[in-house]
Amino acid sequence: MNTFLSLTLIALLLSILAGLIRVFRGPAPAERMLAAQLFGTAAVAILLVLSQLMQMPALLDVAMVFALLAAVTLVGFVVLASRGVR
Amino acid sequence: MTDPLVIFDVALALAIVALAVAALSVRDLFAMIVLFVVFGLLSALAWVRLSAPDVALAEAAIGAGVTGALLLKTLHHLRYVSGTLGQQAAYGVTPLTPVPIGVTLANAIFCGLITLGLAVAYLGAPAAGPGFDALVAEAMPRSGVDHPVTGVLLNFRAYDTLMEVVVLLAAVVAVWQIERGVSDAPAPVLGEVWQGFARLALPATVVVGTYLLWVGAEAPGGAFQGGAVLAAVGLLLLLTRAYVPQPTHRGIARGAFVLGTGVFALVALLVASGGRVAFEYPLEHAKTLILLIEGMVTISIAVTLAALFHGREPVAQTKGGRDDT
Repeated sequence: MNTFLSLTLIALLLSILAGLIRVFRGPAPAERMLAAQLFGTAAVAILLVLSQLMQMPALLDVAMVFALLAAVTLVGFVVLASRGVR
Repeated sequence: MTDPLVIFDVALALAIVALAVAALSVRDLFAMIVLFVVFGLLSALAWVRLSAPDVALAEAAIGAGVTGALLLKTLHHLRYVSGTLGQQAAYGVTPLTPVPIGVTLANAIFCGLITLGLAVAYLGAPAAGPGFDALVAEAMPRSGVDHPVTGVLLNFRAYDTLMEVVVLLAAVVAVWQIERGVSDAPAPVLGEVWQGFARLALPATVVVGTYLLWVGAEAPGGAFQGGAVLAAVGLLLLLTRAYVPQPTHRGIARGAFVLGTGVFALVALLVASGGRVAFEYPLEHAKTLILLIEGMVTISIAVTLAALFHGREPVAQTKGGRDDT
């Protein structure tokens, strides 16, 4: 079971690393930003698996904070990317 | 067969180093910010793998929420408000204005000193051994809380934590000295998606921030994590102009900035006046005092971070008035 969970972790991390291509190449800011947002989702998944694997229920809190706050950057992006607004 | 978890750890470590290099070397400033946010995200996972969920929680709250928004705001300010980067070069490869060599040199010297300090601290520490685990575990029953990290931060080493709160206070004082003014720009049109998001996310964020503060006594959490999560509420309200800072609110804001430092110092002084060492809380009141300090510090951190994000002291500008001096 632990091996399976570890392999899941590696797959999730690889999905983040693959998404980095979009962050590097862009070209539009929205593409980079949304790639980073998807990493937030992957990070939540990684934390959930790790909490099981490391027997650390506190990691569920970390996952919750990630899930809640990833959107703050996105709202910031949407508001601040529209030019006229100060 | 190697444990697949080792592969995960090595890949994570390599990815963090690669991201750090990429964030420093990429030309596009927006890409730099996104890379830095991802760097923070992977760092939080690294802290988890190092069995430090408290640090991971702080990194998640500050890295995922506040820092990204702060950097985006800074870039926006440079491009469209102060015009430092020029209006034309939006979102392309931005031509950087050359930094004076003296500034670069001073930065290099400061960074070098910090690195030197870290190296000295690292080499000075005992190479192997139990560390302070045993000492902390032995003293825990006298701390008033059940979570060792909170015990160290708010009791055994409370002086350090007080200094950290003072750093935030100093930062917001400096920012308010530098920039003043109110903005009368119209609220951005965000539409129904934002309305729905706000209805779901804002109450949840308030609950989670308070929960992190409360749970800090027995599990990972505490004032800094809770404060950073609550600051996100302030950020969202400011971003969408649901709340616009008013000159008349400055008194309340100032009170909130000082609240944490003030209560923290006051408790220390009162404890010291009772013939004890400062921060040597009497055991029967330790938990109450720690929760009181943490609660006030949480409010200060949340308001200070939100004010730092807003970045200006809201002063009504009068033409040629004394605010210009």
